[in-house]
Amino acid sequence: MGPLIKLIILNVIAYVICKFVVPNVPGSAPLPASLVFLYLMLTTSGFLIFATLSAESKEAFWGPIQRFLTGENIGGLQAVRYGVLILFPLLVGWQTYNNTAVSDAPPSENRTIHPAPPGEYTGLSSPVAKTPDNIQQGKGFYAAFCSPCHGGNFDGKGPAARGFNPPPANFSDPTTIAMLQESYLFWRIKKGGVGLPIEGMPWKSAMPRWEVELPDEWIWKIIMGEYDGAHQSPRTWE
Amino acid sequence: MSEVVKLQLIGLSVVGIGILILLFIRASFVRVIGFVAIVLGLFTLVALSVPQMASLPPVEEKFDIATVKTPTDMATIGQKIFFSKGQCALCHTIGPSESARCPDLKGIGAKLSREFLFESLTQPQAYIYLDYRHEGVAKEYPARMPYINKNPIGLSRNEILSVIAFLQQMSGEPISVTVTELDAPGQAPAAPAKAAQSGPVAVAQAH
Amino acid sequence: MQHQGGWIQKLLRSSSGHGGTLLGLVMAVGLLSLPALAFGADATPAAPVEYRDVPYVGSRNIIWVVAQLHLLLAGFVLGVPIFAWLCEVVAWKTGEKRYDKLAKEFTKLLTSAYATTALFGGILLFLLISFYPKLMNYLTDIFFPSFIVYCILFLVETATLYLYWYGWDAMQDGGKKTFHIFLGFLLNFFAFFIMVVPNSWATFQSSPVVLAEGSDMARAWAATWNPTWWPVNIHRLIANVVLGGYICGAYAGIRYLSATNTEERDHYDWMGYVGNFIGVFGLLALPFAGYWLMREIYQYNQQMGITLMGGFLSWLFILQAMLIGVLFLGSNYYFWLGITYRIPGSEIKYRKPMLAMLIALLLCLGVWMTPHSLVASMEEARKMGGSHHPLLGVFGVMSAKMTVANLMILVTFMSFIMYWRAGKQETAGWAKVAKAIMGAILASAAIAVIILGVWGYFVPAIIRINYFSTSQVLVVLGVMLTITPLTALLLRSAKTTTEMVWGKMPPRAGYSLVLNAVMVVLLMTLMGYARSSSRVHWHVYGVVRDTSPYAFSPALGYAAALMSLNTFFFCMLVAFIFWVATMGDKAKAPGGASKVELPQGMPAMAGASSALDEPKAH
Repeated sequence: MGPLIKLIILNVIAYVICKFVVPNVPGSAPLPASLVFLYLMLTTSGFLIFATLSAESKEAFWGPIQRFLTGENIGGLQAVRYGVLILFPLLVGWQTYNNTAVSDAPPSENRTIHPAPPGEYTGLSSPVAKTPDNIQQGKGFYAAFCSPCHGGNFDGKGPAARGFNPPPANFSDPTTIAMLQESYLFWRIKKGGVGLPIEGMPWKSAMPRWEVELPDEWIWKIIMGEYDGAHQSPRTWE
Repeated sequence: MSEVVKLQLIGLSVVGIGILILLFIRASFVRVIGFVAIVLGLFTLVALSVPQMASLPPVEEKFDIATVKTPTDMATIGQKIFFSKGQCALCHTIGPSESARCPDLKGIGAKLSREFLFESLTQPQAYIYLDYRHEGVAKEYPARMPYINKNPIGLSRNEILSVIAFLQQMSGEPISVTVTELDAPGQAPAAPAKAAQSGPVAVAQAH
Repeated sequence: MQHQGGWIQKLLRSSSGHGGTLLGLVMAVGLLSLPALAFGADATPAAPVEYRDVPYVGSRNIIWVVAQLHLLLAGFVLGVPIFAWLCEVVAWKTGEKRYDKLAKEFTKLLTSAYATTALFGGILLFLLISFYPKLMNYLTDIFFPSFIVYCILFLVETATLYLYWYGWDAMQDGGKKTFHIFLGFLLNFFAFFIMVVPNSWATFQSSPVVLAEGSDMARAWAATWNPTWWPVNIHRLIANVVLGGYICGAYAGIRYLSATNTEERDHYDWMGYVGNFIGVFGLLALPFAGYWLMREIYQYNQQMGITLMGGFLSWLFILQAMLIGVLFLGSNYYFWLGITYRIPGSEIKYRKPMLAMLIALLLCLGVWMTPHSLVASMEEARKMGGSHHPLLGVFGVMSAKMTVANLMILVTFMSFIMYWRAGKQETAGWAKVAKAIMGAILASAAIAVIILGVWGYFVPAIIRINYFSTSQVLVVLGVMLTITPLTALLLRSAKTTTEMVWGKMPPRAGYSLVLNAVMVVLLMTLMGYARSSSRVHWHVYGVVRDTSPYAFSPALGYAAALMSLNTFFFCMLVAFIFWVATMGDKAKAPGGASKVELPQGMPAMAGASSALDEPKAH
């Protein structure tokens, strides 16, 4: 059963890498089970593809398994075969039961961080001129209103950030504001967490609805200050 | 049982049937069907294993004059009309864009008076500049702009005024349209041209 | 409209005591009278009817299934002539008769496939008029000039098809053959416009333009030239070639599995090879067209772009990555099986390169399938600090996806070149130099693609989209355009060391061909759902709102179940068309009598054909 053991070893290695190596890289975090499962599936299918490329390698891999399942005169393995044939359906049944049974654990969730904005916010552009003065003013507003959560360094690590799940966005990450247009930020700041559509799970975000406190002009200035401070630039079409 | 669980069970049984076919049936075409069943069943199961989320349509909003208290309220309504019912954003953009098919409206509220804006919306062919930044004598040029107050778009006078309020707000201008100008329901609408001229002054002619 | 189902329910309840037969009868009558019901229910003259519904099933589901089947059949009907015509041209140019037979074999399907497509088109039209009168009124008002153009195109296309098919044997030699080839070109030319015209209706729904006053022609013309029209045309054209190729492969695969003699095995093995080759050929160009389309959508409306890529539908693109990944793996797997089985003794030589390519493909696939927002339990999300992973989250954005997609295309191309060169020995003096240059080109292209991908994180989005992503595409296209002729030149003087042996492939090769075809069809159904639900609650985006109870977009799992159902229906329909079209040959084939007829270019079906042309290595 050489190839089968190889497959198992390969999966164990992949599992160890996902579970213990990647999370310990600086700046990393543990991987969710769904992702680990995905990588293990890829490993397994890769192995299956390679093992069945030629008649010989397929025989080396599949032959022993087939003989174990259907061959005659396998001696003591007969009992193991019956064990497998009984256990496997039970395993499938158990899995199915586990997936469908009512449990008290909250379901896995998939919150869309950047859902589509409402139509009326997609085409706006800032009425405030991009002058050093305005940017500086925006940074001032940012320090006053935003930095407690989003951090003075625009990294999402303000003094109040730790209390929130999901945590405040990290603007210095190139996958956040750098992917979005200014009008998108305008919508998010103005309408806050409760303004999110259902796929953004408005009940989770603690972002305030700033439209009740700040005039539009201040929000536009904050956006300019934010991009400048985080050393990112907004998505544009120019 | 929730719908997802039901669909999961269906998917699982399709895969099961496929496996049974592959195990017990020799005819090659039937075996291929079994194989296809397994593939399709697995695909469905994978799609069911991610959190399920339907996208619901938002509530349809109506222009309700009773809710409008300040010019900013008008601009908010105008913003919605600009990007939906008015279809303005199908051609125009606010700010430069490659996809713009018509003039960029950034700063338009500061460059043009509200009377001119009103006329451009209701009589697009009347007075066209080749380049809307152009100053001086107007040039004849067939506009692709439709009549906004007629079908198929057919905005009411109130709605057009709200859009103008929005455009002025987007240009960083004080909104010169006031709430009192709006037609109350039941009241006969005033003639557009006259209404536009009788508006309070303060027409910004920046730059 | 909600009351329609009520009396059926009452009837069912009252009849439940009378046993199954009565119940069945009532159900049957009920079902038969459904259309009448739908019309009858809205007799009130107050307001024009906007929607009609069918109880239990739902009008949208019916439209969904019929529209999807119509589109798939149309893709098949447009893809097969391209495929057949290419084969015919190859036969005409090289004088290899078996390509001509292959082309004829597939053209034979066209008449019945064409009729089936038109049938579903007709059903779709009637259902749309019945269920969605408001929308159809609106579209008819804008597009009726092009409706007429569409009808005329249909007439011309049908006439050409009849000439092309029935004239096949009569126009076999000399100038007549040239005319026949020209007919084939015309067939594809008209077919292309038959696709392009309805595309304008569908793309107008997702990216409408404002229509000013004007003549009917002017309005229809303006509406036709909407921003996503040409991107969709090109994307669909290439996708149709891919569909045609892979369906041909799947057909060959099934026939190969059930082949009873060596001649059949040889023939269908070869046919599977040609189908897979044409499928891969289109597949390599498809992502570029898709990227262009997505870019146009993003530019047309940011909201629609985000709905697709980052919002409600973002998981759909992970599923798409999975399907495309399986397709790439399946196609390469078939190439590799071809090397080890068709070219005896080459396994040891190519095992290592194949392993390297497999690992490269899997790594790319791993990156492509890593979503930006992950599915995580509360505990896991807390540990990650949000729903994206601090390290692997960088795989979730466009820059990474574009890079790995390009790399996968490169690897598949390498796989193809390797297959091409297998079993041959270059004799030219400059062969070593040429091989070194090719290796250097491939390596530097891969490095360039990766560098551009990584660099893409550090520049503004617009620079990445306009310059980096396009450069990646150009690099990969450049590699294909330099290496293909170079290899052809190199192999011109090469001597064949090992002849390719047909008919030796294992059964799993046949199954992998079927798998590829199913993946392509599933992908088309998936993207059909994406295109339709990216309009969210609009019939015509931002212009005509969907006010029916079906304005919501269903969740992915429910949609996937329907997609699977559609795929299954389509596979069965295609199998039926193949079965009907080849029924006559089966009657002829067994006696061996067909061999006598073959020189006159008679039925290319059945294994007898390949006995005449000994397999040559390509």
